[in-house]
Formats: sequence, structure tokens, C-alpha cells
Amino acid sequence: MISRLRTALVYVVLGLGALVMVAPFLWMFTTSFRPVAEAFTLPPRWLPGLGSSLESYRRLLSSDVPIGRFFWNSTVLATTVTLGYVATTTIAGYAFARLRFPFKNALFALLLVSLMVPIQTTLVPLFLLMRWLGLVDSQWSIIVPGLTGAFAPGMSGVFGIFLMRQFFLTLPKELFEAARVDNAGHFRTFWSIAVPLAGPQIAALSVIIFTTTWNDYFMPLVFLNSVDQMVLPVGIMSIRDPVGNSSATSEVIAAVSLSILPVLLVFLVAQRWIIDSFVRAGVKG
Amino acid sequence: MTSIANDAAAGWFSPQNRKETIAGLLFIAPALIGFAVFVAGPMAATVVLSLMKYDLFSNPSFVGLANFEAMLDDRRLWKVLGNTAFFAVFAVAGNVGLGVVLAVLLNRNMSKTVQYAYRAAYFFPSLVGLIFVAVIWQFLFQRDIGVINYYLGLVGIEPVRWLSSARNALWSVIILDIWKNVGFAMLIATAGLQSISKDYYDAARVDGSSSLRTFWQITLPLLSPTILFLLTMNTIGAFKVFESIVVLTNGGPGDASRSLVMYIYEQGFKSFNMGYASAISLLLLTITVIGTAIQFALSKRWAFYE
Repeated sequence: MISRLRTALVYVVLGLGALVMVAPFLWMFTTSFRPVAEAFTLPPRWLPGLGSSLESYRRLLSSDVPIGRFFWNSTVLATTVTLGYVATTTIAGYAFARLRFPFKNALFALLLVSLMVPIQTTLVPLFLLMRWLGLVDSQWSIIVPGLTGAFAPGMSGVFGIFLMRQFFLTLPKELFEAARVDNAGHFRTFWSIAVPLAGPQIAALSVIIFTTTWNDYFMPLVFLNSVDQMVLPVGIMSIRDPVGNSSATSEVIAAVSLSILPVLLVFLVAQRWIIDSFVRAGVKG
Repeated sequence: MTSIANDAAAGWFSPQNRKETIAGLLFIAPALIGFAVFVAGPMAATVVLSLMKYDLFSNPSFVGLANFEAMLDDRRLWKVLGNTAFFAVFAVAGNVGLGVVLAVLLNRNMSKTVQYAYRAAYFFPSLVGLIFVAVIWQFLFQRDIGVINYYLGLVGIEPVRWLSSARNALWSVIILDIWKNVGFAMLIATAGLQSISKDYYDAARVDGSSSLRTFWQITLPLLSPTILFLLTMNTIGAFKVFESIVVLTNGGPGDASRSLVMYIYEQGFKSFNMGYASAISLLLLTITVIGTAIQFALSKRWAFYE
């Protein structure tokens, strides 16, 4: 009897908690569908119902806010950084796991050091460097470091190398010895044997890097300032009126809803896989 | 069987080893170059800059330790440092504590679909951009039109000044941070829980241990490596708090909720005191390094391994 009561209590607590997690998103989507004049009237509505309108979206799309441009910039940036970062860290991870070369351990330890250096501490020189290279206000200022696997927005470079190295270490040596007997070159071995096997791990890393790059505010804030270079997080902040003037507010609500929509859709479709990706990385990290 | 593998005795560039050596070095070259140019170089530059006065327009001038002396007297710096530490303590405690509790609660026999549904609900906020959720929460925290105060009002609580009161501002940021990140902590804790052998629990049950006692004396100690990992990772992350405060309160009122990174950004990119900003960055770096060192040391000594 007690235990049944306790189980019920646990479910109530879990359920309430889950509701708290989800409620802000419900509120936001519902508010974006309310007519602008009533959007913030209380009591709040949690689900869109009668009287829903697309007014706030229409306002957003007909305003001079280049939300499409923001989306495009975010997509291009996140995709390019992900491709470059995953490629570099996979091949480096493979080398650290499977190949022998001088100073291997010392170099790996050196790279691990980068885990301790948050980008916030190297911000000023990085900015000066990009300025000197003429890359400020160009996506390359974020893509190039990502391409070399130095870091991706919100993530240190060696994270990817570490992750891929861990994975390659778990593969049996025999696989690679066999290739060697056939006199396959090292790159060929990497490309035709290691990479296909690493599929899930590569996919998991890609999900993480894409997500953190898409969401990042800090790097684009510093390096991508002009309006047509802005990515979504920076763009949304630029249209937000801190005082809460209601006419701009509905555009902001619509914009935030649109920004979250892709993530939500992908999550609904692939949530097990996404969760597994993050767990896999977090546990190994 | 003769070894066809790399023969260390023959030297790295001997005919049979040469190709592997070259391949290895080439494969890691981009990462190493990136590290040198974008991490190590800027790190060294930060140290150099911290000894300079540079405002981007005139030439940098060497000022020795003047920036560091100024830091000692800088009241705003101590304020933001205190804010950041305060935030770190409570956000991390909340995150990890709640994450572990949720993981334990969720780790029971229930239908897999329901379990995954709960996991998904708790984890989703972690995936969404911090900027976006902070904008939403800023609306929720509004004193007069905010949803939170509306429901508090229904039970007779006066409207709370979540964002405009110096006393509450940091707490609002903490609440947002816990809400957003508890899902991730829960996932990691779950993975840790699942690696604990069932035998311990069976033995406890045979001994007639109550579940609270089992939790304290078996689960928690065996989970301690995971908890330690969560504590240090979260603390290091918490010291870098930036976006959530920028959106919710912009550091205000005054400096009541301003964080260390916000101050560095302000000094470097608003006031253009790049030398001074670099000096403060070194402070942040020191904190991060100490944090990592502590994690490393503790994980060797304290964690209870099976």
C-alpha cells in the first residue's frame, strides 16, 4: 500500500517536472498564434484555440527584419563548421588511436590542454587576429578555426579528437593488420575501413557540433556584426526591444518560434538517436 | 609470426616505418596547426596583452603589471566575480542535485516508451539555443504581464520583481540555468546509474534496507565518479555564464547580476581596454585551470570505485 502510494507520488513529481520543462515552449508557440493585441493578456493560454491568428508571423515577415537571411547564415555556418570540424577531428583521432609516430603522446597531451582554455580567455587576441586577417564580419572567422579542429563554437577542438580516438581504440587491431598485409596505404585504410565503421560515432559528433554551432551567440556576437552576416541568435537579439514595447515583441515571439521549430521537428523525429548521441559523448568526455 | 607492424627499434623514418610516421603526422597536422594558430598563439598573446595598454586605435604600450594592480582595486571586478561564484555554487548544486534525483526516480521499472518520453521532455531544453529560451523566460519573468507572477498571484503571493530587483536578479538567472541544464545532468547520471551492478541492490534488499538508506549508502557512493564529473564540468561551465544574463537582465540592475565574462567583453569591446580585458581573462583562465586540476586530483582520491 505504502509502496503503491510512493510510486504514484514519484509519477506525479516526474510528471509535474516534465510539464515545467515543456511549459515555456507551449506558452511561446501559443502566444505566437494569438492576435497581437491579446498576446500578453492574462490568464495565459497554453494551447492555441479559437481566435488563433498568424498576425505575429505576418508582421515578422513583412517587417524589415531579414529573418530569412538569419536562417540562411545559421544554416551555412553550422553546416560548414560541422563538416570541417568532424573531418579534421576524425582523421586526427584515427591517427592518435591507430598510427605510430614520434611525440604522439606528448602532442595529444598538448591538445588536451586546450580543453582548459575557454574561448572567453583568448577572445581579444582572436579578434585582433581575425581583424589582421581581414576576416572580421565574415563567416570564415568562425569556419576556419572549426575546419582545423581548433575549436567549434562552444566546444573545444580536442573534444572531437578525443571522442573519435576513444572510438577507434575500441576497434580490433586485426582489422587494420589485414589491410596492411594487402599493402593498402594508410589513408586508404582510414577511408575504406575506419570511417565506415565509425559511422554512428561520426553522426553523433556531427549532431553535437551542428547543434552547438547553431545555438552559439558568443562567437557570432564578436565576429559577425553587420546585419547581413548575423546568425539567428544574434539577429533575434538585435530586434528585441529590452523595454518590452509590444509592437516589436510580437515579431520577437514569432522569430523565436521559427528559430526553435527546426530543432523541435528534428527532435520529435529522432529523439532517441539525439539523446544517445549526447549521452555517448558526455560519458566518454 | 613476423611482425608486419611498425618496428620501433628501426627508427621513425626507416624504410618500413616511414610511411606510417608521415601518415600520422599528416593526419594530425590540421588539428595541430589549428591549435597553434587559434589556441596556443592567442593564449600567449593574452599573456602579452595583459602587460600592455591597448585601445585598438593607438599603438600598444607596455605597462608591466599595472593592469593587475588595477584589478585589485577594481570594485566592479570583485562584484562580478562574486556574482559569478554565487551563480556557480547554486546553479551547479541545483543542476547536479536535481539531475541525480531525477535520474534515480526515472530509473525504475516502467514502460520504455514512457521512460523515453520523460527523458525527451527533460532533455529538450538543453538542445534549444540558450538565447532563445532566455528570451522566452524574460517574458515569463515580467513583473506585470509575466506568467509566473500570474500564477503566484493566484495563491496570494505579491508580484515578484524577478529581473528588476538587485536581490532577485541572479536567482532568476540561476532558475533559468537549472531548468535548461538539468536534463543533461540527468542523462549523464542515468548512464552512471546503469553501470552500477544490480548485485549491490539485491544484497541491500536481502538486508532489508529501506530505499532511502540504499540511496545514501549504496547508490550515492557508487555514483560518486559521475557526480564528481558533473560537478566539475558544470562549475567550469558556470564560470563562463554570459548569454543568459545578457538576455534576462543585461547585468542589472547596475552590476547586480553581471558576470565575469560580461565584464571581460565590456572592457574589451565596449571600452576598448584590451590590455585590461586580457588581464581579467587570465583570472578566468586561472579559475578554469584550478577547477580542472581539482577535478583531476579528486577523481584519483575520492571517487569510490568498484
